[in-house]
Amino acid sequence: MSAARNNDAMIGKSSPWATWLVGAVAFLWIIPIVGIIVTSIRPLNEISLGWWNVEQFTLTLDAWRTVWDKYPLAYAFWVSVKISVISTLIPMIFAPMAAYAFHFLQFRFRRVMLIIVINAFVLPSQVVVIPLFVLWRKLGLIDNIWAVIIPFAGMSFAWAVYLVKSYLDDFPRELIEAAQVDGCGPIARFFYIVLPNSLTPIAAVGILQFLWTWNGLLLPVVYLREELPLTALLARIQGVYDRNWDQVAVAAIVTTVVPLIIFIVFQRYFTAGASTRSGSKE
Amino acid sequence: MAQMQLNNACKDYGSLRVIDKLNLKVEDGSFTVFVGPSGCGKSTLLRMIAGLEHISDGELLIDGERKNEATPVGRGVAMVFQNYALYPHMSVERNIGFGLKMAKLEKKDIQDRVQKAAEILKIEPLLKRKPAALSGGQRQRVAIGRAIVREPGLFLFDEPLSNLDAELRVAMRVEIAKLHRTLGSTMIYVTHDQTEAMTLADTIVVLHDGTIEQVGSPVELYNDPDNMFVAGFIGSPRMNFLQGTVTLEGNGANVQLLSGARIPVTPEQTEQWTAGMRVHVGMRPEHLRVCEKADPSSISVNVDVMENLGGTRYIYGQTGDGENITVEYREEHLLRSGDTVSVRMDTDKLRLFAESGARLRLATV
Repeated sequence: MSAARNNDAMIGKSSPWATWLVGAVAFLWIIPIVGIIVTSIRPLNEISLGWWNVEQFTLTLDAWRTVWDKYPLAYAFWVSVKISVISTLIPMIFAPMAAYAFHFLQFRFRRVMLIIVINAFVLPSQVVVIPLFVLWRKLGLIDNIWAVIIPFAGMSFAWAVYLVKSYLDDFPRELIEAAQVDGCGPIARFFYIVLPNSLTPIAAVGILQFLWTWNGLLLPVVYLREELPLTALLARIQGVYDRNWDQVAVAAIVTTVVPLIIFIVFQRYFTAGASTRSGSKE
Repeated sequence: MAQMQLNNACKDYGSLRVIDKLNLKVEDGSFTVFVGPSGCGKSTLLRMIAGLEHISDGELLIDGERKNEATPVGRGVAMVFQNYALYPHMSVERNIGFGLKMAKLEKKDIQDRVQKAAEILKIEPLLKRKPAALSGGQRQRVAIGRAIVREPGLFLFDEPLSNLDAELRVAMRVEIAKLHRTLGSTMIYVTHDQTEAMTLADTIVVLHDGTIEQVGSPVELYNDPDNMFVAGFIGSPRMNFLQGTVTLEGNGANVQLLSGARIPVTPEQTEQWTAGMRVHVGMRPEHLRVCEKADPSSISVNVDVMENLGGTRYIYGQTGDGENITVEYREEHLLRSGDTVSVRMDTDKLRLFAESGARLRLATV
């Protein structure tokens, strides 16, 4: 019996207990999501007894209509898209360039500059909020999406450069040298050889950065007034009324759905990002 | 085709000098092999010629022009790497044509030249494939294709066959030799495998600790090594070295081995010789013979292992004084570990070396 169990373990079969356990954890995990969806499609008086309460059960899209009519949801969605896409593209383009330069090129103060860039890792974003606010006010950038995009992109460089550079640690140097012999200068080597072979870490940077900027709340709330992204709007909806959980649920769903889709579609790049960061080979 | 010359070339890594004032001339159209043990600087030297390593001091001339600062393309070199270094995201066709694309050649011209290279290397059916879909041998051909398509003056090969299995290595070795004959280009080839060096080269450059030990044709190095290092490095199994002492007798001399065997020799230059000096007596396994009877000039050998290569057999054993010795064995009956045999040498084939390792030449050679 025990031999048979050992055998199962050896060929990679998990025990039935593991399945039950994982199932239970997954169920617990999904309860809040179900809760939000149910909250958004039931009237407020029913859900005030708890969204799970089924004494009275009515389905309604009132909350969805109210939120759509009362709040600039579509506009906030568009602002979120603008902020996230621009703040994601910037590190996706420049972090690989920086990582390549730090890894493969020789120039003065290379090491010091790398340490400075990577050191931004230890800087919590909250620390820069007030100094940047003062700066943006002087420059007249308050309520301009660039007030959010610039720190979003800037603060991502530390980990984005580090992530791509870790990936380049395993990049075969002979390819760079072969390109050199084939007549490529440093820039051509990047575009023709390094970039096409580094799509995995670049995708990982893109996805992680997109999620981070899409979900970012602090900077938009502080720097923006009318040009609000979804997260800031969600905070506003929550703040105006006391008992509007149904509407908050709608806003939460709208806000969450994009990251959820991104996560489902690009799942494999998350693991690629993780393995790249751990320095292990794929 | 191109001629290459290094004048006092040095390579330093910080305070460590890995190539020291090296002078070398590689003739137009020749096949030169750099050979030496690991860490001797042969790959570094090749990379200095390629333009992948900065030359710390000295001069590199290609066709008489100084090229120290030139890019690899400016030097007119192409290189084949040990690990193939094929671009994984490009098809074979694009891999081969990449250098030409960088040189901004017309598309049609690139296609024609890629096609021609593919014909020479017999890889036409593979042109649309990606490197991941190729075997080791096919990848090596593509890597060679990428080099020949540019029609460089100087081909550089950095241990190109060391990742292939034994059979394929022999086959590719023959192909590279044929390619050299077909193209007639100057080729410099780095290897640590002395068999490759012996079979491919017109000229072998033996390197050791960043300096050249000897330059010569394979036969010259085999028959007439300048020092003990070259004598030991060229030839497989390696040359045996036994210790001996010199006694002088008029114009002649005798070398007495530890075993007591005396070998009469005639020095080429007697001033190098002093009575009682200690020497190393070098003899190749193929110049030793097992004989029926012991005599004063024979050496008795205790057999440790007998290695049977099919056509040839080698005895690995020890002399009575504990010196290791390898002997080519041509007799029919097999020997066993622990057997003792008498071995006689062809005295005209032995090579003498001073304690310092320098060759002591004999008049008979």
